[in-house]
Amino acid sequence: MKLYSVVLFIFCITVTVSGNAQRIDILLKGGHVIDPCNKIDKVMDVAITAGKISGVAPSIPGDSAKKIVNVSGMYVTPGIIDMHVHVFHGTDAGSYLANGFHGLPADGFTFRAGVTTVVDAGSSGWKNFRSFKAQTIDRAKTRVLAFLNIVGIGMYGRLEEQDVSDMNPEMTAYMIRHEFPDIIVGIKSAHYWGDFTQVDRAVKAGELGGVPVMVDFGEHHPPNSIEELFMKHMRPGDIFTHTYANGFEDRETVVDKDGKVKPFVFAAQKRGIVFDVGHGGGAFSWIQAVPAMQQKFWPTTISSDLHTESMNGGMKDMTNVMSKFLAMGMPLQDVILRCTWNPATVINRKQLGNLSIGSEADVAVFSLREGDFGFLDVTGAKVKGKQKLEAELTIRAGKVVWDLNGIGAADYVPNTKR
Amino acid sequence: MNKTRDVFSDIYRSGWRKSVQSILQLCIGVVFITTNGWGQTYDLLLRNGQLIDPKNSINGKMDIAVLDGKVAKVAASIPSNQAKKIIDVTGLIVTPGLIDIHTHVFVGGKPETFADGFLSVSPDDFTLKSGVTTVVDAGTSGWRNFPVFKEHVIDKSRTRVLAFLNIAGNGMTGSPTEQDVNDMDAYMTSLVVKKNPEIIVGVKIGHYEGADWAPFDRAIDAAAKSNTPLFVECHLPQFSLEDQLKKMRPGDIITHSFEKIDERMPVIDEQGKLRSFVIDAQKRGVLFDLGHGGAGFWFSVAVPAMKQGLAPNSFGSDLHRFSMNAGMKDMMNIMSKYMAMGMSLQEAVERATWNAAKAIHRNDLGNLTEGNVADIAVFRIREGNFGYTDAGGNVINGTKKLEAELTVRNGKVVWDLNGISGTPLNPVSASK
Repeated sequence: MKLYSVVLFIFCITVTVSGNAQRIDILLKGGHVIDPCNKIDKVMDVAITAGKISGVAPSIPGDSAKKIVNVSGMYVTPGIIDMHVHVFHGTDAGSYLANGFHGLPADGFTFRAGVTTVVDAGSSGWKNFRSFKAQTIDRAKTRVLAFLNIVGIGMYGRLEEQDVSDMNPEMTAYMIRHEFPDIIVGIKSAHYWGDFTQVDRAVKAGELGGVPVMVDFGEHHPPNSIEELFMKHMRPGDIFTHTYANGFEDRETVVDKDGKVKPFVFAAQKRGIVFDVGHGGGAFSWIQAVPAMQQKFWPTTISSDLHTESMNGGMKDMTNVMSKFLAMGMPLQDVILRCTWNPATVINRKQLGNLSIGSEADVAVFSLREGDFGFLDVTGAKVKGKQKLEAELTIRAGKVVWDLNGIGAADYVPNTKR
Repeated sequence: MNKTRDVFSDIYRSGWRKSVQSILQLCIGVVFITTNGWGQTYDLLLRNGQLIDPKNSINGKMDIAVLDGKVAKVAASIPSNQAKKIIDVTGLIVTPGLIDIHTHVFVGGKPETFADGFLSVSPDDFTLKSGVTTVVDAGTSGWRNFPVFKEHVIDKSRTRVLAFLNIAGNGMTGSPTEQDVNDMDAYMTSLVVKKNPEIIVGVKIGHYEGADWAPFDRAIDAAAKSNTPLFVECHLPQFSLEDQLKKMRPGDIITHSFEKIDERMPVIDEQGKLRSFVIDAQKRGVLFDLGHGGAGFWFSVAVPAMKQGLAPNSFGSDLHRFSMNAGMKDMMNIMSKYMAMGMSLQEAVERATWNAAKAIHRNDLGNLTEGNVADIAVFRIREGNFGYTDAGGNVINGTKKLEAELTVRNGKVVWDLNGISGTPLNPVSASK
């Protein structure tokens, strides 16, 4: 601690002495900062220098700033992390989400919703991750991380996802440990029609790779027990996604037919199972979410499950999904926590999802609109709300990548005729 | 009608007691049918909206009913008992589905190119949420790779995707092949246009760096052979604006009309005056499309041009990877921007619907005439303080902003921002 203070002191002197060399690039003035990691929830200025957060304080002088953006009346948060998306877009007409038409190029959906980091949820496996990286990850302005599917060819199609011989924990873990530790944050298990074999192999890969496993546990006829899944197969820190999917015949739900959250679900949460929203095109029903919220079974992370079938439906984008939780009575601070610091912690990327000095400057600025809004679930049921988040300004690595109303730009001055 | 047949077959199949019952049912049915205008029920009814349909000179409170994917009726009041689904759109604006005549949507896996590449975007990602139901791809494909474009994008999109065909055989490859005059074949281009009359609406010239006029002439030739308009992009640095406009025929379309970059002379001169040859071209019937894009729209050109009578004829967005998150954003933003510059809502809607449809010779689109396809946009006018940015990063402030509430494509709801088509969650069922 003492050493830290000395370093900080020297740093401060350096900053003061170097003057112009350390000019602030962007100064966000007067916004209400919500940074759950650093327990900040009040009006603060945020300074960005050389792509990094260089100051968060009640009043930072603007005279040395190259650009000052007045964000008073708005909320300033760490760039949003969407922990469940499908962005392995490609042109293989035979494929579902691996290099197929149903995945989406990330940048068209992220920045305009305040999102700066997405985590692809197992669209690729160890066999096609390299083409995912070359095609999508390396070209996106959005930071794209990934859960690697336990199936070697990822989410190519439902049939291929049943092939147990293509679920190789060793190869999957090798990709994480030795090839792409910076990008791959976990393993995905999904769409399996059989018993617990796929989950067990994914957990094995998770153990070998030292990463969490995200489980989409549906499509069993009749449904497999989620109590058994939570208590016997998943580890603390592993992620259960599509938490508020309303089961048909093939998916056990967290809320029972009488509207009660099943007791073992609370026990699982205590055990450290992470509950992720993963809204998607079929996995978020008010009939599950509303009673769960009322009974204080809240998700650990709020995510979109972005793909072509969710983008124009009830999901839309992260600001819409976040606003749904506001409509259900979750305070804004809790909503922000669940799509910044919580996902960063879950995927072991503690350098993300916060505005700590020195961290990469991924910042979201929101307006909180007041009015009469409606929010659809995947069944066409609607819940009304009085508030809605709107992404005003998004900054990725210190650069403005979205500016809805030009608050970071200069007013147009008509040319007086010469 | 099916119901009537069922009742008769009931009579044939069952005993007399049942027959009496059936006859009673039939009588009730006939009464029902009569009051219902021969049993016609609509699939969808949008009630109490402010309907703006410039083609049909409608701007007022009107209901609109949809049946079998078509506009079935537009009237001051359509009884609600005639429709299966009713959506109350009180306070909202109802228009024909918007048409964006300048996009790049031949998305694919190739890096650094528009044709089958990463620089194009998927139409459905951006259109429906902005009230757009039809886009026209601006020559991203040429006659050689149009089939790939059709298979990968056009046939797979919910948005109606039409196209201008590039005079360059492989479209916007960005590689030297795009400059190859030998691969600019008027005959082959016109042939592919004529073979795909439902999709291809014209021919495009753009991205040619040489001084030889052959590419331009061949593009006009291909357009003439296929009886379609020519769409002129920029990036033709050695052709003067004046010469380009002079070669263009009435009905041909020039885009990026308000750009201010080196490759083309702006439409206004150094004194801010609209150039006389531009006015001449406009009078002759050359159409000026917006083509906003990442670099194609500057207030310092567009504002004086509009004051002097040159507003864009259509609102092509030039949607692609570099414009989507910049000053352009989407069609709603472009229309709002022009309203902030002083254009009326009615004029903005006209440019995004009927003007665009006429420009591409698709008079079946961009209007709500009964019998035409039910592509409908419903949007809200937000009041507040908004800002609109041009390619130079300059902002104009406005107090209104359009927001797409509901989009109907081919009679189906494909976008519903606030769930106005949804059913309220029953609190009892939620807690049960």
